[in-house]
This record gives sequence, C-alpha cells and structure tokens, in this order.
Amino acid sequence: MTQSPFAALREQLSDAAAAFAGTPGALSGILSGMVDDVDRALGEQLEIFPVCHHSPGSALAMARRLRDKQPEVIYLELCEDLRPVLDELRNCRLPVSLQAFATELDGFPDAWGPLSVVAPITEASAEYQAIAYALDTPGVELVLVDRSADHVFQWSPQEQPDQPADAVGMEIGDLRPRFAELEEHLLHHGKVRHWSEWWDQYVEQPLAGADYDTYRQVMVLIGSLFRRLGPDDAGRLARDEDRERYMWTRMREHLATSGADPERCLYVCGAFHAASRVEEFGLAAERTEFAITPRTATTWLYGIVPASHSAIEEQFGLAGGSVSIAAATFAKAVSRGGVKPYQLKEHASKRPARARKAASPVRREPLADRLSGFLSRPPVLDELDEAELLGWSVDIVRLARRNGYLASTADAIAVFETSILLAGMRNRARPTPYDFQDAAVTCIEKDTVPGRRDVRRLCEILLGGDRIGEVGYTAMPPLAQDVYDRLAPLGFDLKKRAVHRALLDLNADPALAPCSHLLWILHRLLPDGAVRPIMGSRRLGERSVQESWDLALGHHQRALIELGYEGVTVEQVLEQRLRRRVWDPKATAAVALEAVEDAIVFLGSRRLTEELGARAVELLAAERTVDDAPDVLRGIRRLLAHYRATEPALPDWCERFVTTGYAHYCTLLPSAFVAEDIGVRQVAAMLGFLSSMEGLALSLGCDRAQLELAVRQSHPETPGKVALLWGAQFRLGVLPLAELRERCDELLANPLVIPSFPQYISGFVQALEPAPALTPFVVEVISNAFARLPDEVLLPWLPMLITTLRQEAPELVPVLVREAGRTFPGTLAAVDAWVPPWTARPAPRAEARPVVAGGPVAELLAAHPAAIDAVAALLGCEGGWQPLGQAVPSGSGPAGALLTRHPATVTAVAELLGGGATS
Amino acid sequence: MTDEMLRAPAEVKYAEELDWLESIDDGPKPFSWRLSPRMVRLFVLGSERSDGLDREIPQKWFGDRSFVERSIVTLASDRGLLLIGDPGTGKSWLAELLSAAISRNSTLVVQGTAGTTEDHIKYSWNVSMVIAKGQSRDSMIPSPIMTAMEGGVIGRFEELTRSTSDVQDALISILSEKYVSIPELDDDNIVFAQPGFSIIATANSRDRGVNDLSSALKRRFNFVRIPVVTNKRSEAEIVRFRTVELLRRHRIELELPPTLLDILLQSFADLRAAAASARSDDEKLESALSTAEQIGVLEDAILHSNFFGDRTLRAETLAGSLVGSLARRQPEDLAILNKYWHGVIEPRSKKDGGEWVDFLEGGRQAIATLS
Repeated sequence: MTQSPFAALREQLSDAAAAFAGTPGALSGILSGMVDDVDRALGEQLEIFPVCHHSPGSALAMARRLRDKQPEVIYLELCEDLRPVLDELRNCRLPVSLQAFATELDGFPDAWGPLSVVAPITEASAEYQAIAYALDTPGVELVLVDRSADHVFQWSPQEQPDQPADAVGMEIGDLRPRFAELEEHLLHHGKVRHWSEWWDQYVEQPLAGADYDTYRQVMVLIGSLFRRLGPDDAGRLARDEDRERYMWTRMREHLATSGADPERCLYVCGAFHAASRVEEFGLAAERTEFAITPRTATTWLYGIVPASHSAIEEQFGLAGGSVSIAAATFAKAVSRGGVKPYQLKEHASKRPARARKAASPVRREPLADRLSGFLSRPPVLDELDEAELLGWSVDIVRLARRNGYLASTADAIAVFETSILLAGMRNRARPTPYDFQDAAVTCIEKDTVPGRRDVRRLCEILLGGDRIGEVGYTAMPPLAQDVYDRLAPLGFDLKKRAVHRALLDLNADPALAPCSHLLWILHRLLPDGAVRPIMGSRRLGERSVQESWDLALGHHQRALIELGYEGVTVEQVLEQRLRRRVWDPKATAAVALEAVEDAIVFLGSRRLTEELGARAVELLAAERTVDDAPDVLRGIRRLLAHYRATEPALPDWCERFVTTGYAHYCTLLPSAFVAEDIGVRQVAAMLGFLSSMEGLALSLGCDRAQLELAVRQSHPETPGKVALLWGAQFRLGVLPLAELRERCDELLANPLVIPSFPQYISGFVQALEPAPALTPFVVEVISNAFARLPDEVLLPWLPMLITTLRQEAPELVPVLVREAGRTFPGTLAAVDAWVPPWTARPAPRAEARPVVAGGPVAELLAAHPAAIDAVAALLGCEGGWQPLGQAVPSGSGPAGALLTRHPATVTAVAELLGGGATS
Repeated sequence: MTDEMLRAPAEVKYAEELDWLESIDDGPKPFSWRLSPRMVRLFVLGSERSDGLDREIPQKWFGDRSFVERSIVTLASDRGLLLIGDPGTGKSWLAELLSAAISRNSTLVVQGTAGTTEDHIKYSWNVSMVIAKGQSRDSMIPSPIMTAMEGGVIGRFEELTRSTSDVQDALISILSEKYVSIPELDDDNIVFAQPGFSIIATANSRDRGVNDLSSALKRRFNFVRIPVVTNKRSEAEIVRFRTVELLRRHRIELELPPTLLDILLQSFADLRAAAASARSDDEKLESALSTAEQIGVLEDAILHSNFFGDRTLRAETLAGSLVGSLARRQPEDLAILNKYWHGVIEPRSKKDGGEWVDFLEGGRQAIATLS
C-alpha cells in the first residue's frame, strides 16, 4: 500500500496517546473514545463544522462547504454580543480585532478595569469565510452563540487580583495541546520546532486535497485527543464545558424561535468543542436546561480595532511569521483554483447582492469512512509548488541584496536546491515555507548581518510580511470620526499609515486654530508618537503663532479607536480622565493642580477647574507627606500668575488653597526639618510656599506668628537643612547677615566641617527659594570658600559641590550665576584691581545723631515735650532730648564747606524766606 | 582497536552502529555517501521510537535539530560547510560525526594556525624522494584535503579563521573548480575531486576578526551558526554524556551525583546571565562559559577526587575546580568570582542548604588560595 498522507499524523497521535495515557488499559479507552467522539460529532443532526484558528485548510474547507451546502443559518462560536460590529467588517481591511471594552464596571472588582476582549479576524480563516458568506447572501442569518464578553469575566477565576492586565484574546477554534508536555512530545517526535510547523506538516498539508468528510473526521479526531489528554485543570475544562452548554442552549433557543430547519444550518466551532461530551450536546440531547446567568450591570462598548499578524502571533503565543505563512498558504491555494473564497463587499460598491439561492444546495451524503479511502491515495505533487519555490528563491536573493547581503544568482540556485533537500530529509512531499526559510538562512546568512534585517526576517517579509489591518471610517466610533472630521482642514488623509508633517501658521490662517487646539488635546491623550509637536508649545499663558506637527494617526488607529470607548468627543474623554485622576485614591495635591492646569489650557471650563481646584484643597489638607511640595509650589505659582493676569479676582478655591497650604506647611515644617526621609528640596519648597504666598495668606487672615513659631521649633541636624534654616531665619529677620557671615567663617575655619561644606552651600542655594535676598551672600560664601581653602582640599571638593548642586538645586544655579556675573568684574584686567564688595565693608559709622536744628518748631517741641516723649516711647527710640544749644554747627561738614565757598545761592534763598540770620 | 587508542575517532568508536545503519539504509544516497541524509541525521541525533528501528541509536550531538539538517543538506549540495560559534559549542564534534557518518573517515583534518601554509591544504614534496627520483606522484605528499578529494570523502578544516588570508584563499579554487593542479608535474598533473567530496570547516566566532574570510570564500561556504546551549535540560544531557565518556576513557569508577550536576549547571547559568548584563569586558569572565568549559570543570573535579580525594565527587572539589578553571585573569576574574560567591552562592546556601553549603566553602577556600 502506498504511504498515506495521514500515516504520519496517525502515528503522531497514537504515540502521544500512548505516551500520556498512563496505564495500558487507558490507551485503548482513549482510542475507542476518540472514535466515539468522531462518530458522535459527525452523526449530529445539526451539521458541525470543526475549525482551527489560523488554518488555511479550515478556511478552504469552509468556502467549499458553504458553496455546496448554502446554509440558511450559521451558528458561530463567537461572543454573542459582538454581532452588531460584524456588519462593519466590510469597511475594514483585515486583520482587525472585534473588541468589547468596559471601563465602568459594576459587578467586577475595580482592580480589573478596564476590561477588554479582542477577537482577531484574519482573511485566511474559516470564521471570516462564514461571516462573509452570511453577510453577503440575502436570507442567511448569522447567529453568534458563545457567551458574551461579560460572561468571559464572570466565569474567570475571581481570586486572581490582577486579572486582566491586558485585553483577553478570544480565538475561534483554539486547537492546541492543553499542556506543555504534550506539545513538547509532539514537536519532538514530529521533528519540528514549533506548533505552527507541526500543524502545517501533519494536518494542513495532508488535508490540502482532502474532501469534506475527511476534513471533519481528522479535525474532530485531533480535538478529541487534545480533550482527552487535557491536564487536570478542572476549572478550565469546566469553563469550556459551560461554554458548550451555553452554545447548545442558544442554538436550541434560536431553532425553536425561528423555526429554521436544522438540516439547513451549520454550526462552526473549534474542533475541541466539536468533540464535546457534555450532556447538552446535540439537538436530541436528553438534558437541555442550562441556566444562563444574567449579565452584570457593566456597560460594554463594542468596536473594531486594527490588528496585525505579529500582534496576533504575540498574543496567542504563535511562532513568529506563522500567521503570515498561513495567509500566504491560503492565497496560494486560492490562486491554484478550485475554490473561490468569500469576501465581504464594501458598502461603497453598493452592488445589489445577487440572489445566490438559485444554486441548489448539495444534499449531505450519508456518512462514510473517508479517512481510510484517503490513505490509499498518493500525495499530489504540484507544478505550481515548484514555480512558487523558484519565485521565492529568486526574490529572497533580490531582497537580501537590497539589504546589504552579497547574494547572487548562485545563491538562488542553492536556496532552491537546499529547500528541496531539506523537505526530503524532513519527510515532506514538497518544501514548506519553513523549509524555504531554513534553506535561505543556510545559503545566504554569513557571519554577520549587514543591514537591519537578517535573512529569517527577510523571509517573513517575502512570505507576506506583517500585515496590519485598517478600520474604515464608518466602522469607527463617533470620537474617531469626529477627530478625522475636525482635522480635515489640514488637508491630509490621516487614515493612511504615514507620518504627515503639518505646518500651521495661526496668524495667517486663524481657521486652523481649532485644529491646533484639537492636536494639543490629542497629544495629551494619545501615546507618544501619534501626534508629535515639532515646533510650538501650549502651556498656561503660552500660545504659539506657528506650529509644526508630525501626525501619525494611521499608525495609532487602535489607540484613537479605544479613546472612542471613553466618550463621544476628545474633550469629554479628557474631562473624564482629569476627574478620574484627581479622585483616584492615590491622587496628590500636585496631581490635582496639574489637572487644574490642563483643564484651563485644554478645556477652559470654569466649572471643571473649580471642581478640580476644590479637590486640590481637600487633597492638600489631607496630605501627610511633603514629597510633592516642589511640584505644589510650582503649580500654584503658575496658577496664581495666570489668574492675576486674566481674572479680576482670584477664584475662591485658590484663596483656600493658599490659606490651607500656609497652615499645613507651617504645621509640618518642624518635623520636615528633622525627618531623614524628607530632602532639603522638599523643605525648601515648603519654605518657598510660605514665604512667597505670605502676603496673600496674611491678607486672607493667616497669622505670621505661626511661621515664626514653626521656624523656632525647627532643629535640623543635617548640614543642608541647617543652612536652609539659617536662610529662613534671615528671611524672617531673626538672623542678621553679619551673624550669618560669622557662622560661615567659622565653618570654613573648621577642617572637620569642610567635607560637608558643599551640603551647606546646597542648603543656602535652596534657601534662595524662600529668601531671594540671600543671593549675594551665597555668592560671597562660595567665593570665600574658593579663596580660603587650600588646593588639596578644594580640588577634591569641587566635583562634589558640582554634583550636589546639579542633583539638588539645578533650577537655582542660574540665579546664582547671574548674581556672580553682577558681582565679579567682566574683564580680566579689572580682576586685579577688584576688591570683593564684602571685604570693602563700610567703616563703622560714628554715632550719628540727628542734627537738631533750632527754630520756632524745635523751641515749641522743647517747651511741650510730652507728646514727643509719648511717640518716642511708642517707637522705642532712646537717647532723650538734645539741648538745643549743643546743636552741631550747621556750617560744619562738606555741605557746610561748600555753602561757605559759594554763599550767593543760600543768601538768595534766605532773603526769599525772609530769614535774616546767616552763618 | 578502540581500546588501544586514547581517543578513537567517531567512525571507529561507532563502527558497529554505522555498519548496522548502513545495512538497513534503503534511502537514496547522494554521491558516494555511505548513509542517506536521513540516516546521517539519525546517527547524529539519535533515534526515536517513531523511527521504527530495531535498536536504539543514542544521541551524540545535542542541539537544535535544524542545525544538523541544514549541515547535512549543505554537504549534499555544491557548497562547503562552515560551522561557526563560540568555543566549546560542539562544532568540531559535529564535524567529526558528520564526516564519520557520511564517509567513514573523520581524520582528514587540517588544523588552521598562523603557521598553516598552502602546502598543508594542497600538497608538499618528500624532499629525499625528489632528490632520488625526481618529482612524481610518488614523491608528492598529498594534504588531507587532497586525499579527501581523491577519495570523494569529507575533508575537515579546523579553525579556518586562524590561518592567514592567502592560505584560506587556496580553498576557493578547490571549492569552485573541484580540482588541484600540480604544475611541477608534466603529466597526471591534475587531481580531480571525486563525487562526495566536500569540506567541513569550523571557525571560532570570538576570533572572527583575526583573519576574516574573503567574500569570495564566504560565498563558497554555507554558514551554520552553533549557539551556546542555554537549555538546561539539553546542557545536562551533554555534560552527562561527555563525562561518562571521559570516565570510561580514564577507567574511573565514580558516581556523578545529580545534585552536583545541577549545582554546576546553575552556577554556569548564573555566570552567563551576569556576563550578558556586564557593560565592559572587565565586568565579565574571560571564559566563554560554554558547555565544553563545564565538562572541563567536571572532569577536573572528577580527576582530582579520584587521585587526591576519597574517590567521591564532593561539592568542595567541584567548587575548587570551577574557580580554578574560570579564574584566568588576576584580579578581574577572581573579583567577579568573589562577588558571585558572596552575592549569589552565599544567600543560596543559606536558603537551600544541602550541597550548596559545601560548594560555598570550597569556593571560598579556592578564591582565598588564588588571591
């Protein structure tokens, strides 16, 4: 007898069954059970079509069967609530994913959100064939019968706290060994590297020319084996069985309500489910009740998002390139003729669908054992295969050359020859894409990869590459449509997968201002790279007159569509996100201030900003840490500046924020000064808030004594914070500059302290935030250190100073440099003669007393001293009265000398005033 | 015959197995091959139950199946085979097995060194005979490659990149025209390669820069890159397989405890991970940490235990051998090992206990001795 195409598969499966059956008796049980399963599935009154995901064989068999049978109802294993979006498939370029999405959860743990289920659809799949047939043929009904997206999560184990980190992928006909050992066994004994290759070699290729019954028998057989050799994961199997009960229940319900003839129906499900053994299986099942639980109150939204072959491979753990290869295999089988696949017609074509019902359906023949008959036929060799391989060999060399390889025609010959040799060695009737890939790598790949892509990747590109789907305009959610509409004035086709450079001159063309505004919002909402500003910025109080953008919405269509699940317009989505952010349990005052800023910049809604601002006040009052103090300080400063410039009065929440912050930071200041985990930067920011908001806070009823007390209670230990405290004391007028200078001199004189002196300087620099008047002094301290420290101390110390300043006070260093620029001479020549201002101190002034002028006023006051004494006591002036007779002669001093030399003016003035006396 | 050799070549060692395979082989054989490609693969990778053979053929080379398949089909094609990879990845062993299976002769080897000349690849002369009888085929000494050409068998060229470029380029005409001309002779002055001739060369990817191959030569070779085995199970298989062979060769009766094998594999896996994340050469060990290196460590430990110990392999001895084998540079390698010992082995010994405790102690002592 000739070697059969299925002999290898049979051997593989029986080996696997024997290896995993456990006891010898169990093997026979499994084998007879498998036969029973096949018998049962194929004998069912409702025709079951078993499929496998991404199987070109399944797709071809489906196309053939649909043409033959012309079913009126198709039941499909797919979430039933996805049905409405299927109609939109005709506006998309495959592969795309059907998606169910929920952010407002009700009935699921909040930590699970957002929930997302995606079901990818590729062209080379049986389900697409069924969908295309059903939607394009009048009178045919497509019924999705699998559990809803809601049930997917209802039935998932509740104890997993981190349940859906990503979208849950759903595939129609997930057929793969359920445990790693079985798969490893099949791969090892099948002498292949990965599952897709095993499937291709042992199932796809033998099935390529098989008839329908053989196809069904083989698929159910495999499904049955995997089911019987499943692991002891009772939970997963129970879920699968529940799904089967669900599907059969739904089908029975539909048949009962619609009155459809089961003979004219087709049930498309995974081969795993075709070999089901649940009691509810079959229309003639004894047990038919299965209580379907109601959905939760979670709001589900549905749509289509673009998918790609590589994304599908990654999501479902398939080997790289396998989906592309499946697509190429399907395309080849189609081009070989014999079967015409179904394809959804676009709405645009608007051709009236022809009534195909004229074609009379082929009646189902009585079931026969096709498997044995097929085994006796030799494998069909095709000239097309050789031509195709030749084409590939030539193309890969061309592609390799373009990518920097030194490949030549000799390599094309070698690749062709090696592919055939490899296929022969691997017991394949004809070289598969996998053999071709290996042959190309062997013959072309040398020791290094000259370009960005190696030969393996080039082969994947050659065999179809990574195809990326596209969702058509009408299939998009309103938000995405709105975005495209509003960006239309830019004049680009943004649906295309390209990067568009948009130049917006808002002065010349003010009509583009709304586009610019929308782009900024999209920039805020979409992932990096979707819309990227090249020139221009949008911040509080800033607005560019010219902008330049890189727009790659085509590449990020999925992100845009998913945005559509959150709202109807981008503004609404942004508003919701801002609200969610500030009401998050982990939100901080800084986050809330940022949200307020965003609301002002992007939305301009007073109501929203006030709501967010009020929340910021609440958050600040409730905060127990001061980690965000620098952000809070910057945020509120920006907002105050904005409101002062644009509004007649500060909003209520702003005033409350300032007063709350003043009290809050005063309270936390003493502990922040000593806490080890709070940095100098944070404390400086607190002091900065207290000092820069002081005027406003005091005018709103705060008390300065609170701050003075807080500073007095602070007793820091680390050098940086000590310096900061000194700065704060200086600011409050408690510590005169002379004393501060003295303290610094002492520090510099103490060799034990010198290593930590940069920390002090860092503290002083930070202190510029609350006490900007300290700037000249900080310059003085640093200059003194440079002047006084010996080189052996200074040189190792300098890098530390620089790194400390860079880490802790980068934004204040420019202030310092500017001050230094003012202090030091600008030219080299001037340096020699330069005397630092702090060394040229003014000589102590003599006890200068006010010159007591004589005259009637002085005499009057001297005569009645009580009023002046009272005022002096009130002001704290001491020294008492000077007798008028001891008055300093008015002619003394330089002014007197001058007047004596030039008396004319004074004389004229005296005459004018009518005074007669001259000195 | 095997007993009289320190290390028998593969065709001698597995002679009986090869005979048997040849007797049952009914597949098509290219040229003068002794076995069909499928049987060659079976010989190298071992048999499965599904192969339906009456006896089991043990696996001799451990690695990805596709590497072997690609190598075999290359030899059946017009091109030479260049096995490239890190030291100790089994390139030469694969070359030897392939030659033994295909042509029953794996000894036609040219070793590439800086001193290899064109004579080593083509032919040289027996000076005494040339003086006595003049230049003739009798006084000519054919190189192993020429012998392989004449016999239509596989010739091997070890460490191809170590020989200089002009010597390498002598292979170009051999691989293209498949003949060597001998201009010194007036007649019978061309040696044609017989069908079945091919060359398996090996090259060390770490020394690739020493004498890089010319593009013309690269074009005549198919490259098969053999990676370092990182699959723990395969690696355990290789180490066990080779160690048992070594024990047999040294006639040592010593048991290899599985826990110690695990410790060895784990240590190498850790050190490889550390090497992969190192930012400069100083931060990683000089050793390639290949499987052959592991076998070397184990062999060293076994010999030490056998001759200087109590004939039981202990964790301390293994640790000492590991440190001794891997600490090549002082102080860089020792510093890395010291860090590894205290940063990884010490916590592990506290957590897992068992042999790790002795391993820790043995390593510490070895590091202390070398420091």
